[in-house]
Amino acid sequence: MKKYIKAFAGAAILVIALAACKNNFPVDEDGLLITTRQECYVSNFELLGTDYVTVRTKAAVIDTTAQTINVEVLYGTDLKNLYPQFTLVTDAKLDPKITGKVDFSDLANPKVWTVVSGNRQIRKAYKVIVSVQKK
Amino acid sequence: MLQQRSIITKYIFYMLPLVLLAAACQKEKPYALPTPKDVLQNDVIKRTLGPNIVGQTIEFAYAMAILPSKGKLVSAQVEASIPGAGATYLENRSFYTGSGGADVGVQVGSASVNSGNTTTVTFTKDTMASTLRYYYVIPEAARGKTVSFTFSAKSSDGETVSFKAGPYTIAQMDMARLITVKDGGACYLSISDTTAYTAAQAVTNASKIDLVYLYRALPTVTFTHALVAPAADTQYLPGITLPAGVNRSVKMNKVFNLQDFNLARLQYGIYIDDLDFQQLNLTNAPNYALNLKAEAGVWVETADGKYRAYIYINSIDNTNRSAVISIKRYTMQGK
Repeated sequence: MKKYIKAFAGAAILVIALAACKNNFPVDEDGLLITTRQECYVSNFELLGTDYVTVRTKAAVIDTTAQTINVEVLYGTDLKNLYPQFTLVTDAKLDPKITGKVDFSDLANPKVWTVVSGNRQIRKAYKVIVSVQKK
Repeated sequence: MLQQRSIITKYIFYMLPLVLLAAACQKEKPYALPTPKDVLQNDVIKRTLGPNIVGQTIEFAYAMAILPSKGKLVSAQVEASIPGAGATYLENRSFYTGSGGADVGVQVGSASVNSGNTTTVTFTKDTMASTLRYYYVIPEAARGKTVSFTFSAKSSDGETVSFKAGPYTIAQMDMARLITVKDGGACYLSISDTTAYTAAQAVTNASKIDLVYLYRALPTVTFTHALVAPAADTQYLPGITLPAGVNRSVKMNKVFNLQDFNLARLQYGIYIDDLDFQQLNLTNAPNYALNLKAEAGVWVETADGKYRAYIYINSIDNTNRSAVISIKRYTMQGK
């Protein structure tokens, strides 16, 4: 009987110890997992109008060396009410976050978003340069 | 002791299947024809969905029945809290579904008579059970109010029965369907009149013109079908000479995939109601919308803030440089 009690107590301690280990995975301030990945780039960029239909005339040109995104939008696009969408490399995140419509009407001062790598150590600022299709 | 236990086990062993069998044999109650109520009965369903708009119809189906041994139906009547518009009527035919799936009507009474806020059908055939449809055409007097209905039936044995339906809220908004706008023709759109005017007519209605419809097939950019405020940047009004006095602006936002059922009459069960206009926020919205496609639309607010509207594009015609549009318009309170 004593043998069983000992075995049970041993198993219980092991279970508690394992449960206590769950906090070993690091998370950032947004509750996102911090990984070992160092890659830090934008892989795709989309720009939608208020009707959620794309306003691009062609695919955006993403220069990961110069850290720029050049996008040409249709003639007559309402630049004050656009929804940008970034596709990032695995585990990366964007700063600041995009929470709604963005005003791109100040063409001379392009908007800047920073990509943060999976390990949260590398930060790269991408400039979104919008141009309007010429008539 | 051991022997006793084995006897009990045996008992359980034999008794268990017996219990199961007995449970399986429990018969459900045999079906019996339900005994019909021996009084005059009635019921109502509302057949139309979506907002109730002035000028449109609310349709009900009113069913009534009495046992043949008790008597027959004499009359059916609907009383509306606000009298319906002239075309309001109670169907004098009872419908059944034919073999092809279509509704087939059988006349059971005389044509309905409207008197004040009541609509009556008197049965002319010996009828014990009937479902009559009621079409209430929403009058202007009901705008923004609630309407309720009392359906009642009389039988030959002197019984009466009634059913209350509602109250139903009547929308504030207006609707204008299938307005044809044509580049160079009736292209000056007034939200307050929900009408398209030609350049000549626009001169006399200059203060009411909110939008210009135009179609341009430009070589380098996609312009196509557009709705542009007269006050918009002239680059969005290429080749347009505005009639004297036409200079108003609007705020507008393009929308896609919002095929309102009342406007589009397609398979989509989407309805724009008063609430959508009340909550609409067009801050920072532009005053032009280019490259409009069929089944797309635009939310519009007039410069004076008096009207908010949804303009739906039913169809476009590049060859004739025209489009067919439908409008739901809401008048803002206190404007």
